[in-house]
Amino acid sequence: MRYAEWCIAAPTLEADIAAAAMGLDDIGHSRVLYGSLRELGTPDVPDEPGSYANVAYLDRPWTDWTAFVAANGVLDSGFTVMIEALAGGNVEVLRSRLKKMLQEERYHAMHGRSWMRESRAAGAVEQARRDAIVWIGPEGGDVDELHQKGILSLGVRELRRRLDEQVSGASASLPIDWNAWDPVRRRIVPGGIDDLTLTMLQGLAEKRYMPAGA
Amino acid sequence: MGPLGLMGFTRVHNEVQEYEVFARKTRLEPLRQVGSVVAPDDELAMAYARATYDEERWVEMMIVPKAAVIQLWAPGEAEA
Repeated sequence: MRYAEWCIAAPTLEADIAAAAMGLDDIGHSRVLYGSLRELGTPDVPDEPGSYANVAYLDRPWTDWTAFVAANGVLDSGFTVMIEALAGGNVEVLRSRLKKMLQEERYHAMHGRSWMRESRAAGAVEQARRDAIVWIGPEGGDVDELHQKGILSLGVRELRRRLDEQVSGASASLPIDWNAWDPVRRRIVPGGIDDLTLTMLQGLAEKRYMPAGA
Repeated sequence: MGPLGLMGFTRVHNEVQEYEVFARKTRLEPLRQVGSVVAPDDELAMAYARATYDEERWVEMMIVPKAAVIQLWAPGEAEA
């Protein structure tokens, strides 16, 4: 969704097209993940504002291209390392379905890496890295538990290490207050996605412009 | 600022080069030129080529820096 907002606003035409294509890829990835969850017996979550477990970095539209670049190069890589861990784990549905996703994410990472070299995005990169680490969760938490069971092939430390490989020269970040961490929404700061984006995600904006029976 | 407005980001790639994009749909057909992209490095060129020319189910895609192409003769020129 945030990628799509930049598909006519990126600094070059190629980057516009890439933003649209990566947004479409990620919608496809969500569909695969939700489909896999359903198949694994996970009940649907009610479609309410409070149930959206997005990382804080996605709460508001990005007002600067460097925010896009950091999301693309760092946050997206945080998701990718987790997908790698799921694809390498012992759940057959995930092992077989997530491979294509990783192939596509390779190009997202290349796009993000190249733009990070080009842009002065240090502030946004640090924020995105922090949000990705918060999303992965604390050491000794649920992720490490799933790693011990073999569901994830990587634990928190290895996930963080792989993420840092993507962010070369990452500065030492401020300590994270894990006591304030919400294990369901996987974030520390309260709040959520903005109302306008939420109505679009829920299809309400669509209904407003195209009333039933029209 | 931001989407649909003026951006704070002004520096767009100091140096770029053009890459030709080649692809084919089956192993039996030859690679053909499907277009080109402009990028500052190979990684971004690969990302752009995939994003821009993914309308077909290609079995193979590759990019070549245009500077690496050696032209023997051009249309209208006599064969050397």
